[in-house]
Amino acid sequence: MTPGTPHTVHRSKLDQMAERLDATPHLLRLGRLFNETVLIEIDQDEFYLTFEKGRVAEIKEGPSKKLPWRFALRAKGEALDKFWHPIPEPGFHDIFGLVKYGHGRIDGDILTLVKNLRYFKEFMALGRREESQ
Amino acid sequence: MTSSIEPITGRYIRLTVDGTPLRVYFEEAGRGRPVVCLHTAGADTRQWRFILNDEVFTSSHRFLAFDMPWHGKSLPPQGFETAEYLLTTGTYIETVLSFCNALGLEKPLLAGCSMGGRIALQLAALHPDRFAGFIAVEASDFQPAWYDIDWFHRPDAHGGEMGAALVSANIAPHAPPVERWNTQWMFMQSGPGVFRGDLSFYTKDDSLVGRLGMIDTRQTPVHIMCGEYDMTCTPEDARRTAEAIDGATLAIMKDLGHFPMSENPAAFRPYFQEALELMRHSHAELTHA
Repeated sequence: MTPGTPHTVHRSKLDQMAERLDATPHLLRLGRLFNETVLIEIDQDEFYLTFEKGRVAEIKEGPSKKLPWRFALRAKGEALDKFWHPIPEPGFHDIFGLVKYGHGRIDGDILTLVKNLRYFKEFMALGRREESQ
Repeated sequence: MTSSIEPITGRYIRLTVDGTPLRVYFEEAGRGRPVVCLHTAGADTRQWRFILNDEVFTSSHRFLAFDMPWHGKSLPPQGFETAEYLLTTGTYIETVLSFCNALGLEKPLLAGCSMGGRIALQLAALHPDRFAGFIAVEASDFQPAWYDIDWFHRPDAHGGEMGAALVSANIAPHAPPVERWNTQWMFMQSGPGVFRGDLSFYTKDDSLVGRLGMIDTRQTPVHIMCGEYDMTCTPEDARRTAEAIDGATLAIMKDLGHFPMSENPAAFRPYFQEALELMRHSHAELTHA
């Protein structure tokens, strides 16, 4: 991968979020029973995040038709960049906002997402801290 | 650290609604024009804590906020253990009217948020003679659910925690963290099936749509308020509703979401002040002066 492409920028963002998760005790506690693979698709790039006991154990990159996942969040890179803004504009401030206003989609076992909703939403929001510092 | 006792007082009142005896908790503060405040789905009277603690507002208004049966400190009715809680427009209206009757409130203002705003508009259409004006916060004619309401009442998960995580989508990023979490705490505390039962009313009963034309704002003013970050009742929903009510006024509120009086009191205050001013100059008051 070429450094600085949208793919590498987003991969590096997810890696950074995984590191921050390791350093966020309350999320590790909330996610202690969360052992699932989540597909995060940004533009056409697939990232399979395998969570184990609330930590991101592995990130595999697609495309793949074989890797199983529990639920998927698919969004445009531009929309996620707005989502990760320190003060996102209306509609970009929540993953369900992305879905409601047509900037993204959630597929798969949505009930598993909802049962772990606070944990997953706060994990996704870990991408915001860098810009606010 | 200093200590202080807030001016809010809490008491219980016995009501009978649709033949069912109820023990209802309410809070009160201030002297002057009565304002009955209604909370959102899945929450309770604490959402109005900053308004009831506001020295300026309470110098000229008597605020009364009650927990709907099943919510907060109001008990569910006898036999709840085998009942499925599903709020209806009829029961909601009767509860609000019974509360006003029991306290002898003559033509109070009615301020409701979300489902409270929805029922305020229903009352504006069906019982305008009982009120002096309506402040409908995060209120609109109807929105179907963009989620499955059954998620919030299951034996294998905590409905309150899921509900709080869902409604966090409706809190603006500008909310001070302490009040964001205080707002979510009420949802976390909600009794099993209560949020679902409220949402059944809010997301399935579209009877208000055909009644908006009945609202006569010359008799009772209607002011609709909507936070720009509200994605349950969006600014577009609020605008559509206001446009369908001849004479209704509308405020789209910056930096606020679906729980404006609770999530960010400082940002909400000027908008609520404007709402009270609009009610003060209402046609209803002038004709009774």
